[in-house]
Amino acid sequence: MTAVAAPPRPEEVGMAPPRRRKSGLRAVPPIVWVFLLIPAVVEVGMVFWPAVNSFYLSLTEWNGLGAARPVGLDNFRDLFSDGIFLGALKNNVIWAVGFGGLSVLGGLALALALNRPRRGVGLYRSAIYLPMVFSLAVTGLFWRVQYQPDGTINTLLGAVGLESVERQWLADPHTALYAVLIAAVWRQVGYVMVLYLAGLKGTDPTLDDAAAVDGATAWQRFRFVTWPQLRGVNTVVFAVTVIDSLRTFDIVWAMTQGGPYHSSELLSTYMFQQGFTFLNLGYASAIAVVIFALALIFIITYLVRATKEEVA
Amino acid sequence: MVSAPFSRRGFLAGIGGVGVAGLLGACATGSNESAGAASTTLTLQSSLSDPDPKAALTKVVEGYSKSQVTLNTIAIETFRAQLPTYLNSGNPPDVLTWYAGSVARDYASKGFLLDVSDLWTGSGPCAGFSPALKELSTADGKQIFVPTNYYWWGVFYRKSAFQEWGVQVPTTWDEFIAVCKTIKSKGVAPISMGTGSTPWVASGWFDYLNLRINGADFHRELLSGKHPFDGPEVKTVMDHYRQLVEYIDPKGRSYSWQDAVTPLTAKKAGMYLIGAFITSGVPSDAVDDLDFFRVPIIDPSVPVAEEAPTDGYFASAKSRNPQRAKELLGYLASAPAQQQFIQLAKSSNLPTSQAVDTTTFAPLVQKGIKLLNESKAITQFFNRDSSDELQTTADTALTKFLDSPGDVNKILTEWQGAAKKVLGS
Repeated sequence: MTAVAAPPRPEEVGMAPPRRRKSGLRAVPPIVWVFLLIPAVVEVGMVFWPAVNSFYLSLTEWNGLGAARPVGLDNFRDLFSDGIFLGALKNNVIWAVGFGGLSVLGGLALALALNRPRRGVGLYRSAIYLPMVFSLAVTGLFWRVQYQPDGTINTLLGAVGLESVERQWLADPHTALYAVLIAAVWRQVGYVMVLYLAGLKGTDPTLDDAAAVDGATAWQRFRFVTWPQLRGVNTVVFAVTVIDSLRTFDIVWAMTQGGPYHSSELLSTYMFQQGFTFLNLGYASAIAVVIFALALIFIITYLVRATKEEVA
Repeated sequence: MVSAPFSRRGFLAGIGGVGVAGLLGACATGSNESAGAASTTLTLQSSLSDPDPKAALTKVVEGYSKSQVTLNTIAIETFRAQLPTYLNSGNPPDVLTWYAGSVARDYASKGFLLDVSDLWTGSGPCAGFSPALKELSTADGKQIFVPTNYYWWGVFYRKSAFQEWGVQVPTTWDEFIAVCKTIKSKGVAPISMGTGSTPWVASGWFDYLNLRINGADFHRELLSGKHPFDGPEVKTVMDHYRQLVEYIDPKGRSYSWQDAVTPLTAKKAGMYLIGAFITSGVPSDAVDDLDFFRVPIIDPSVPVAEEAPTDGYFASAKSRNPQRAKELLGYLASAPAQQQFIQLAKSSNLPTSQAVDTTTFAPLVQKGIKLLNESKAITQFFNRDSSDELQTTADTALTKFLDSPGDVNKILTEWQGAAKKVLGS
């Protein structure tokens, strides 16, 4: 064959002519600007302005009455000599690691187990996702009943002869934080599972099959075939988990209110107490700024690393 | 699409414009409406959000004809947090529910509360109230508060249970400890106390022991920071508290004050030091079996003091119509309004007006009135005599103490440190 076929015209392969698309981009109709600007104004006025305000408030002493008194960095200096704040910071680290670790591991394991279609798998998936439907306050109430001295957990322990392990889970400063953590993970695990299930649906099953044919073990197939394909979902799961763990408030408030004697205090509960119970609005804003900074540091470093990997 | 027909664009822009106008308009009309309303009708901001008291206040306000009154009911926690904002706003509610005590005085000292001294003089509606109530409602020599009802604290128990266990109501500390011992020997927790989600209950015993050992004046001074929490007086108080620890139901550490009522009614706990509001948590068939006694005397030379937290109203200094606000306060303080409120609210609260006919009240309530009339001094409660912030230092210290009474000295030192920080700020 000597005749060279002419390249197909763009119309033939379904491509729009490039010129038309460009001009469409350039001339954004004014009406679109209007639709962009109105939400932007609302967002700036009702989200960013108050947020910026709390930065300013963190440099003042204010109890809601009269004018705020500027105190410079005093609030931050006080924070780092405040034992309750430092305890809350430590608890937040425990919380982030425990909550993040357990819910990601649990969610991933459940997603892998429930990924393949088989009889009743939908039922299991919905059962595990169900706790996510309840608000955290309801979850807290439900678990508080389980943890009561005569509640389900102690009764079960007693029934299997573990009386020595029985304790007042929420009233014991050594167990309170972990007891709340379990309740929070119980709820979060279904959410992470759904994210990973969606991620697993996006993986290419032929790669897995090919690796199986090549004699890869189940662990090897997961580690070298499935896991790298889940990178996109991991970014989402990481961001969601860090944000969720830093903003955890309601479940702790519903179950222990940070007690007994601040042993389950998190930054968010301490901020709430300082701000809305004691009306130390400057001090509470300083705690809010710390929470914001922590969230930002985690998310930015992770996103920077994730995008770098993607580019490479 | 490069350009839309003009008419359509204009239409959409118009919608956007209407949206913005609507948004701004909503704010504008919001403030206009309330500003307009303030001049003709009064706003009564209420934190009584429980169904019975809310319905009762609604009924009481309906009976007021001199001005139009708008009743805003707000959940207590929101109300507490918003209170300074209400008082500080350009257009504050005219009359607000709140408690007598240091918080009200604090607001008064900043000039946020209306001077209602004329209600307390001559033939004013509060003129007949007891001197103790007047003292409680006074800040800087002016009356700024109108108390309308209060409740007493006592050691509640079931009469039938005491009969079964063969114990008598104790009047001295030694008798009290002996009763605890007897009840414990029956396999029942002598003292119920819900310090789980309501750790402030632990301050009840602290307040009373301090009142019985050091007296009301010392107690008030301690709570205003004039004495240290790690001083010898408080140590004596804690020595007595420590004698109680072995008799306090350990499960109470997981309960709220409401949960801790259940063991008492089920006769799994013997006694409960709590306010008269306990009756709202007791099943109706057990209420008649419920009785109480005064916290036993420890030092007979100390004048008997009781806790009687007082609720009522104050008005905003910036009210647009102070005269009408005062008239409303006067109405709320009147004997018929007090009586109507207490009965409709189904509470065991006592009226502050002596003109209220209390003969129809339950025997328990009559006994409460007698208890308070016989006491030499009245205190509020830890947080009302100090502040909510100091209350949490007490919560921390006292719950820690209940867990490890042996560490009392260390705990008191920490408490003093925390209290100093609160009082200093």
